[in-house]
Amino acid sequence: MKFQKIKQRIFDEFNLVKQADELGIKVWQTPSFLFIAMGVVIIAAMGGVYIVSANYNSPEILALSELAVTGLLFTIGSLIIKTVEEIAKANKMKTEFVSVASHQLKTPIAEINWEIELLQSKFSEGLDAKQSEIINEIIRSSEKMGRLVNDLLDVARIDQGQLALNKEKIDICALVKEAVEAQQVIAKAFNVELRESYPIRPVEIIIDRRRILVAFDNLVSNAIKYIDGHGVVEIFLEEKDGMVQVCVRDSGVGIPRSEQAKIAQKFFRSNNSIKNKTDGTGLGLYIAKNIVEQSGGSFWFKSEEGVGSEFYFTLPTVQTKKA
Amino acid sequence: MNKRLLIIEDDTVLQKALSSYLTAESFEVMCALDGEEGVKMAISEKPDLILLDIVLPKKDGYQVLQEVKANEESKHIPIVLLTNLGSIADVEKALEMGATTYLVKADYKLEEVTAKIKEILNIK
Repeated sequence: MKFQKIKQRIFDEFNLVKQADELGIKVWQTPSFLFIAMGVVIIAAMGGVYIVSANYNSPEILALSELAVTGLLFTIGSLIIKTVEEIAKANKMKTEFVSVASHQLKTPIAEINWEIELLQSKFSEGLDAKQSEIINEIIRSSEKMGRLVNDLLDVARIDQGQLALNKEKIDICALVKEAVEAQQVIAKAFNVELRESYPIRPVEIIIDRRRILVAFDNLVSNAIKYIDGHGVVEIFLEEKDGMVQVCVRDSGVGIPRSEQAKIAQKFFRSNNSIKNKTDGTGLGLYIAKNIVEQSGGSFWFKSEEGVGSEFYFTLPTVQTKKA
Repeated sequence: MNKRLLIIEDDTVLQKALSSYLTAESFEVMCALDGEEGVKMAISEKPDLILLDIVLPKKDGYQVLQEVKANEESKHIPIVLLTNLGSIADVEKALEMGATTYLVKADYKLEEVTAKIKEILNIK
């Protein structure tokens, strides 16, 4: 098993076409290709210097050939550095673009939301049932768009290392209960039963309430979405060793073993049986993992295809901070 | 007597929606479309509360905040920042300069904005 993993890793490292595709550069520009090229040049150069020193008994020629080899190595080395720099620069620009674009999108979203709210709350006289239904559909679409933009903005902030956490002291049990309640409507629509289990006493933690709510919501809505037909999602909260552990267990389709390592990567969506029946951006778990880890906790999961998945995260409780 | 509000916001759609809603909630609403006009109106009209955008033409929200707080006539007026810049650094800067609180436009409903205003002005 371990041997296979190592073999897969080596294969991935030297899969130049895939690497070039992922980084958006040409094959000859990939760090792996340049690294191989450098290795070949070093071996060829050593051979060359050996041949020169064996055939010509002249220190000048030897020095010149060594100079030529050094020059060649420097050229390839600088090419590697340049490529890596370009990749880093392009990545930074992309993150900045996402950040700026999301900020710009927030204004029209606010406009739509406020106009609709104004219409519904102050100028709804004369609207019939059908018109009100259409307005409600618009609200749902706008809310969806708002969430997407917030996700993109969060990802950009995570990548820039600027995800600010607005920490406050809260009871995680109350927060989770509230979040589960809010998911009941969706769960019913998907024929999914939500079961909960909490510690007897409240568990106080210092976190960014809104962001932890986003992380938890992402886990529960994933659990609901990836159940094919009827099913159960169980939510457990446990307090141990100065940490609170939250587990979201589902009886869903599970994640194929070959994809488990990539599951919390940006934009990754598992290629499972109901991928096409559910919508998603592949950002939810990436955001959840980063929020939890930045809050001082850990994030992990277990999953078996056809059986279900268990997602866990921990967060430090207030007692730990005092100790 | 109805409480008087000054909205300093250059986005006309947001400004109209906000002022219509607040008018319907029995506030007397005045509007300024840029920072310069905003400062002038804050000092001459002395509203009970100012809703202030950050990105504004002529003078930005920070400048408006500074000038309103520096003027004896207007320094007591509570200022609520309306922003889409959610970063903590921006918000902290504004709070240090004397803003009462801030609201991220895309994340708050008009109802919540109104509730915040009523809370600050002690209206039940």
